[in-house]
Amino acid sequence: MIYIGAEEIISPLGETAEENFSAMIENRSGITLVPNAGFNKGAVNLSKILNLPGENQFEGLIASILASLSHKIDEKVITSDRTIILLSSTKGELKNNMADPFGPPIASLMVRFNFANQPIIISNACISGVLAINAANNFITAGLYDHVIVIGCDLISDFIVYGFQSLFAMSDKACLPFDAARNGISLGEGCGAVVVSNTSAIFKNPPLKLMSGTSANDANHISGPSRTGEGLYRSVKKTMEINHISSDDIDFISAHGTGTIYNDEMESIAFDRLSLTHVPLNSLKGYFGHTLGAAGVVETAASMMMIREEILIKSLGFEETGTSKELNIILENKKSSLRTILKTASGFGGGNASLIIQKL
Amino acid sequence: MDNLKEDLKKQLIEQLNLEDLQVSDIADDALLFKDEGLGLDSIDALELIVLLEKYHGIQVINPDEGKEAFLSVNTMADYIRKRKS
Amino acid sequence: MSFITSYCHLTHESCSVNGNVIVERDPESDDNWFKQLYKNQEFVYPKFYKMDTLSQAGFILSEMIKRAQPSIMNSYQDDEIALLFANQFSSADSDLRFKKSYEEHGTPSPALFVYTLPNIVLGEIAILNKWYGENMFAVLPKFAPDFFVNYSQVFLSTGSEAVLCGWLGIAGDQINVFVFLIEKQGSAGMEFNAENLKKLAGIELV
Repeated sequence: MIYIGAEEIISPLGETAEENFSAMIENRSGITLVPNAGFNKGAVNLSKILNLPGENQFEGLIASILASLSHKIDEKVITSDRTIILLSSTKGELKNNMADPFGPPIASLMVRFNFANQPIIISNACISGVLAINAANNFITAGLYDHVIVIGCDLISDFIVYGFQSLFAMSDKACLPFDAARNGISLGEGCGAVVVSNTSAIFKNPPLKLMSGTSANDANHISGPSRTGEGLYRSVKKTMEINHISSDDIDFISAHGTGTIYNDEMESIAFDRLSLTHVPLNSLKGYFGHTLGAAGVVETAASMMMIREEILIKSLGFEETGTSKELNIILENKKSSLRTILKTASGFGGGNASLIIQKL
Repeated sequence: MDNLKEDLKKQLIEQLNLEDLQVSDIADDALLFKDEGLGLDSIDALELIVLLEKYHGIQVINPDEGKEAFLSVNTMADYIRKRKS
Repeated sequence: MSFITSYCHLTHESCSVNGNVIVERDPESDDNWFKQLYKNQEFVYPKFYKMDTLSQAGFILSEMIKRAQPSIMNSYQDDEIALLFANQFSSADSDLRFKKSYEEHGTPSPALFVYTLPNIVLGEIAILNKWYGENMFAVLPKFAPDFFVNYSQVFLSTGSEAVLCGWLGIAGDQINVFVFLIEKQGSAGMEFNAENLKKLAGIELV
């Protein structure tokens, strides 16, 4: 059995998983209107962490989260030669050094934390986080490692803001995933972590069960999703089949839900093809913004807390159905015993990934 | 040939990396976004907005405006003239 | 057991397939090296001209693998070929070009921005071939044979029947690209393990 636990989140909503979850229970968003952030110096809705140091922000966040993790697991795991660190990120320490965004911070972290094995960066656009958790599962199942620390981290930069503005992909208000009035994303920055292991004893709090996940490409367009949700459909279908999970077994879906017209519509079509439109569903991007390479880990960590606290969290930003296939979007927090949850992600490059977590 | 349309064709080729095309390959009424025309896609549509700003000083605030305006070189030329007057 | 059934190298000077030089760069040409290859090999895919260098390299070498191993195009279901690529600097070259577009050329370019992610090359290969399988792009400090052996094995034991792997070592003018095909059936190929992969990759990489 493969276990997943020790979830942690650093975001504008808090420096610990508990602080973040309290904010989620209160339906508070980390997204604020930031003046002068846009290319033409306009204000932009962003989920920005206050008081980050001027330099080495990427390295700093990862170091902070590792320090947190050392209290949540047997700390010998961090330096064990049976452990590997997987980092999911799209831009790394871009602001320091665009020519080599990952080399220097990873080298520095290796010295600080004495990892036995070279960390692997998974840089696969917005599915990186889910892909990294799946890779963790795969590495352990293959007997290559016993423990994998998965950390997702991405920061907001002018580069990223201007880029999404050039695509006209930014919302003019805090994002509204799946809503009829949605018109784009709200970028976010954050760092999330989970620990995946074949040994439940390493966890100080009981872990959950991680089931094998898959990915699939849309084979359609490098930045627009497939209109039929082909890749997402194939990935989720396969993830469900290999784990013998039917659409009736799933208690909650943490969707990708970026808030763009096309992404959310595509997801509704894919979930409809999968007969999952009845399953309580949210997008967490109303709370965290779109944290790109960190999203899959941050949102999986948040969803794990929903299982532990037995509560469905409201899909922040949603009021009225805006997709051609109606989904069962969570309108208000609701106490609910959750046994099996599905997490999905979709991203540039046509990638789609999914995973399933179960309460033990 | 109308200078604006000829310039537009050169700008299209330059801005959209249409390296295998010459100005003479682009008919004034060729449907830019259809396969039978130039087969441009959604990213090209956004680059046309950059083209309008860069070469003609025209700002397009809402990308939906582009849907009508960018049908062909003819409609683009009409749009540019209208915005400039 | 799996096999390396075909491989390509691209350096700043030449392109070779299965150890044989196919094209040598013409230093006198007005065209850059990737364009020379595109024209020399008579590819017809206008989207090529919009691609960044990572995607152009991935496109050219995967097409050459297909020509060297044509059976790949009808031996597999549309989701059975996984794509596993890696490099050292992520999308750095494209990132610098995008940054220039807003710092020096007046407006951020969407066509450049979409290439500021290293995995886009996987999307380009998937789109061209209608391959709906597994993908992964990793960033590593140098070419790591163990990574490719381990993760290809993971793919091959979780539903993939073949893996197209690539190390896209491109930084400015430095080019050290190695793309190789791993198949479960491969009578003529070399057994796929770290030793053999190191041998084929060559001294410059390992």
